[in-house]
Amino acid sequence: MRSGALIPADDRPSKCSAPTTASPSATTQRWHSNHNSSSPSSSSSVNPDEISHFNALAATWWDPHGSSRALHLMNPLRHDFIQTCRSSSPTSSFTVLTEDSDLPPSPDAANTSNTENVQELRYLDIGCGGGIFAESAARLPTTSSVLAIDPSPGVLAIARSHAKKDPSLSPKLTYLSSTIESLPTLKPEAVEKKFDVVSCFEVIEHVDHPALFLDHVAQFVKPGGWLVMSTIARTWTSWFTTNFMAEDVLGIVPKGTHDWNKYINEYELRGYFEETEEKRRFWGRPRAMGVVYVPGLGWKEVPGSEKVGNYFLGVQRLASEDA
Amino acid sequence: MEAVARRKAAAYVCRSCTRQFQRQLRRNYSNSAPRPDIYDVVCVGGGPAGLSLLTALRANPVTSHLRVALVEAQDLSKVKSWKLPPNKYSNRCSSLTPTSAFFLDQIGAWEHLDQTRVQPYHEMQVWDGVTDARIEFDWAPGSAPVEGTTIAYMNENLNLTSGLLKRLEELGGVSVFEGAKVENITFGEETEDLDLSQWPVVHISGGKQLTARLLVGADGANSPVRAFAGIDAKGWDYNRHGVVATLEMEGEGWGGEHTKIAYQRFLPTGPVAMLPMPGNYSTLVWSTTAENASLLKSLSPKDFVAMVNAAFRLSPVDLAFMHTQGADQDDEYSWRLQHTSFNPRAIPQTVVGVQEGTVASFPLKMRHADTYIGERVALVGDAAHTIHPLAGQGLNQGQGDVQSLAKTIEFAVTHGQDIGSIMSLESYVSERYTANHVLLGVVDKLHKLYSAESGPLVPLRSLGLNAVNALGPLKSFFMKQAAGSGTKLF
Repeated sequence: MRSGALIPADDRPSKCSAPTTASPSATTQRWHSNHNSSSPSSSSSVNPDEISHFNALAATWWDPHGSSRALHLMNPLRHDFIQTCRSSSPTSSFTVLTEDSDLPPSPDAANTSNTENVQELRYLDIGCGGGIFAESAARLPTTSSVLAIDPSPGVLAIARSHAKKDPSLSPKLTYLSSTIESLPTLKPEAVEKKFDVVSCFEVIEHVDHPALFLDHVAQFVKPGGWLVMSTIARTWTSWFTTNFMAEDVLGIVPKGTHDWNKYINEYELRGYFEETEEKRRFWGRPRAMGVVYVPGLGWKEVPGSEKVGNYFLGVQRLASEDA
Repeated sequence: MEAVARRKAAAYVCRSCTRQFQRQLRRNYSNSAPRPDIYDVVCVGGGPAGLSLLTALRANPVTSHLRVALVEAQDLSKVKSWKLPPNKYSNRCSSLTPTSAFFLDQIGAWEHLDQTRVQPYHEMQVWDGVTDARIEFDWAPGSAPVEGTTIAYMNENLNLTSGLLKRLEELGGVSVFEGAKVENITFGEETEDLDLSQWPVVHISGGKQLTARLLVGADGANSPVRAFAGIDAKGWDYNRHGVVATLEMEGEGWGGEHTKIAYQRFLPTGPVAMLPMPGNYSTLVWSTTAENASLLKSLSPKDFVAMVNAAFRLSPVDLAFMHTQGADQDDEYSWRLQHTSFNPRAIPQTVVGVQEGTVASFPLKMRHADTYIGERVALVGDAAHTIHPLAGQGLNQGQGDVQSLAKTIEFAVTHGQDIGSIMSLESYVSERYTANHVLLGVVDKLHKLYSAESGPLVPLRSLGLNAVNALGPLKSFFMKQAAGSGTKLF
């Protein structure tokens, strides 16, 4: 990507101390917890500066033309990606609701298939923010419950007051002001308390110790369930599009939202799940999907773009023993 | 009481949603306030657009669990049981493009139309009354689209609404409030654990209140839903009236029973169109001045028939003179016809009668709403746009709206979006607004172009018609557009 970079190397953002190439060398320190000499001082993965930043954004979170419009537009893709993940897994009996309505079957067939295919899926949404994903997950007919957590009290207040506007949500959706670390730990055998889908969308790039964070998250994923993430690759393109263009020039993302140094490349994130024999027994093969924001059109899936910009990564938990 | 409500809820929604309702019921009954009657979709207006939308939602397994209601001022049982003998046709007919017919077939409604009363047509003859420049829309060998040579289907509006109601009855699950007037639309209330302050509440006659996640205005050109949403509609009146009538012809047309032809002649007062119905019948749509329209309505059947025959044959000057006569147009027509030369095969066969009580008129307008959506509101059909009838596109635009809105709702449901939020409805506007706007504009300009009797536009427009007729590929492109089967231009 460097050859095509729009910013000359000398004009690099000053805060950028990361390597200029997409080589794993300097980042592995921060990234791979088991090689990290010093463990983090706090028990939380979340940076306090990040919390105050998102508190300040709370007011416009649900404005369709406000600061979070790009997130609103991305949300349907999150469901598409989860659908793709779940329908790919051999252990899942989940039936995909088809969007293709060319020839709707008879109403009787429709009703029976609808009720028969309902699977009571439990979701855990980590870093739920104003609840864009959490609300939508709770509305799906296949969902039984959504536990949505976020450490920023300001955004959580917004999430709670917005959820009051839709009476269908309250039976399924619970918000909790919490980090993943402060949730009660689950014993391996407590399968029924675990989740079919654990999501952390646009979260990992805001976390100080991603590997420790993921180590902790693992226990909440039900065997056969999926851990689904989305984040941004650390490349010149992503610096140009998400930091420079999106925040500074176009203003479609609030200024100060992203710290490019915290971005994680797809092979780094994938590497976490594949680095040891133990991890490979625990997790299935990660699936990735790269997406690109096209102004005026919204988010589009672009195969291969996971290497350069925004991407999803989903990984299924295989084993029943804990990590 | 709760058990009754639970049973009621179960009739509308799937089992998992019923469980949700039950949980809500229990919670809400502990409060003193009455439980709001919440629907996912409340559709105001049971015309072709509203009924098609509800049918589309009910017929699709993805959206069939939605709780839907219809509010209609008319008594729908009369519409559903509508029946006319084979020698009588309603005067309110519309042209359905193959695209609209395909959509109606997809949602299972087409087969419920009385097919003996649906008339496909395969050719169009359009000419300029001032210059006689002509365009013949017939299919050159090899130019016919694979979908077939049908340009459109002529159909009585009541045959469509009646068929849609039969299909809806078969599907079930719609709470129908018929003979119900919308008395007011307000917003819901905010309580400690529920904020419905942005949810429309439809108050209908009899005191019933329906709370809507999505309120659909399919309630016509003077849409109360549009007024509630504060959406303005801009446009103008044409100072023209559309005169309609059911006509009896001397035969079943020059092409016989299997090749029916639609005719349209542009007169300085507006276009006059004759569209084929089954057998020896045709339907008339004559756009003309308000004065001419009231004269036509006052004439005896014999004189009315003479005026219609004159409209397709005599010169605009002769015709204008006949509009000044209070009566006896029949004699005047017979005399003037001898002095007019024309190719009888290029114009409709002679009208021999008019069905009693079918001559009627309505004012023509062009209106376009500023947008089709608001928070928890969507407009479809005439509530969103009113078009000049010269291209026969009004009902088809409404069907296009409905198809797009149903698709938008389906996407929202599969992606957990709130179907009433602006965010989910955006794609409906972006898909339909420009398409409708272009068509409204083109038809408006056509009307204005052909309303001129003299001046620089007249030779130019005949050049246009003749040129189009000579250019085979261009003509076939236009025909495919008319049939909705061509490359999507709009």
